[in-house]
Amino acid sequence: MGIRKQLYTWELHGDNTSGKVGDSTGHYPTVGVEHSILYGEFGYVQPARQTGLVREDEFIVLEKIASTPGISPYEFSVDAVGNLTRWTPNIFVNIIIDTTNYYQDPQNVWSSGVSGFASPYPRNVQDEPYYSLWPPVYVLPDQTVDVRYTIFNDIQLSAENEAWNNIPQATMLAGVFVEYTLFNGTDAMIARKLMNLGIPVNVGTVENYRRLLLKSRIGN
Amino acid sequence: MSIRRQCYEWRNVGESKNFLITPPLVINNQANDVILNRYPISAVNYKVGEASEKQFWRVVPIQPNQVVDIFNGDIGNNLDIPGQLKAYQFIVLDGIAVYPETFNAQIIVNTTRYFQDPDRVPSRMGGISGNAVPYPNGTPTLRQVALGLNGGIGGIINYDFTDGLNPPVIIKPGDRWAVEVTNNGEVFPYPEGSVALKTATDVGVARCFIKYLLIDGADCIVAQRLIDAGWPLTVENLWRYKQDIIKTHLYAGMAELPEEIANAKRKV
Repeated sequence: MGIRKQLYTWELHGDNTSGKVGDSTGHYPTVGVEHSILYGEFGYVQPARQTGLVREDEFIVLEKIASTPGISPYEFSVDAVGNLTRWTPNIFVNIIIDTTNYYQDPQNVWSSGVSGFASPYPRNVQDEPYYSLWPPVYVLPDQTVDVRYTIFNDIQLSAENEAWNNIPQATMLAGVFVEYTLFNGTDAMIARKLMNLGIPVNVGTVENYRRLLLKSRIGN
Repeated sequence: MSIRRQCYEWRNVGESKNFLITPPLVINNQANDVILNRYPISAVNYKVGEASEKQFWRVVPIQPNQVVDIFNGDIGNNLDIPGQLKAYQFIVLDGIAVYPETFNAQIIVNTTRYFQDPDRVPSRMGGISGNAVPYPNGTPTLRQVALGLNGGIGGIINYDFTDGLNPPVIIKPGDRWAVEVTNNGEVFPYPEGSVALKTATDVGVARCFIKYLLIDGADCIVAQRLIDAGWPLTVENLWRYKQDIIKTHLYAGMAELPEEIANAKRKV
């Protein structure tokens, strides 16, 4: 039905253990390896772990991706009773359409994507992101879209230092934010038509095309 | 065929050789200063300063006046080969940022340096400063950090280049390009051998960020046409040009026929 502004958030929280390898198994993502925010094995993903297949009556315009900012593992904070209250995952996010990576490095091979410093989430008052996804990414019917994150700071190895004794579930360790516009039904057909005409697909152009169609019908 | 918004980020972070060992918890305090084609894996160091210390995080010091190529400078995350465009690629480099404020960043295309001094000599400071284009925006100054004020008050904001470089730097097919950072201050963040290199927070990590539009495939031909016609190479102009091409194709064959053809006898 119609045009909807959608967002999807992936978050990784603590598991109420120290996080050491011996105390926690399978909860924290392996570092240096990309994982999906839609069907990966870590954090809050969709229960059925569906892939991001765009149905034949849908059209998606991906407009924003963001993730937790920070680089150093020494940015962590611990409260008075030894709970970890802040963690820097050193995270990068990439977009994959079918089998193609959106981000590539200057030598034209796969890269990890955009960092949390360039496009932060959550965004603080002083954060002025350098990166914006412009032009937006179109995902066409029957294509599969995926957003994958790579974490480079190893929380489980860090836990061995015993700087904290518990990682509470309330502590958000890493997050990824995605914003997109979902066109479906006849609006998806209009979006596809506009794309074929080389006209940018956004809410304004789709509504305008619909207005022109209605006007031409009334005129007849 | 596509127009994609790309970015690249360099940091002066090394990687402990512990991560090359399985299991990693053996005593080994050696680190690699350069990591190719990815970012270094890190963790909080184990028992820093004690006999059982194991290193998992290390920042590589940048010496005063040292110039580092962010693609191939042998410090931090690097690439195998220099940045070079293929025959069907254009790059519109429109964003650059650097940290700390004592660092400057210079863009190099083939043998030409982008930023120059008024006497037309390439910038002696090494390009645009972290004071003008801090990364990230709002980052604290080194003085604020030294005074312990980095958590509570605002830092440096990019006001002058909010829309990036305008006009942007156009890098053409076959061109070689690079970005260099220069340290115009004291050794950053700490001298070699300092324990603080192993416990540095984000304020101790030098970094440089670039943002660019990668135009490749058929869009590269459109880009060349726009340049030939003197139009700025923007997403909007690329779209507009393609719209016009499609529009002319839609109307192709719909024009009035010449009279002699329209009135000609029909042949079966």
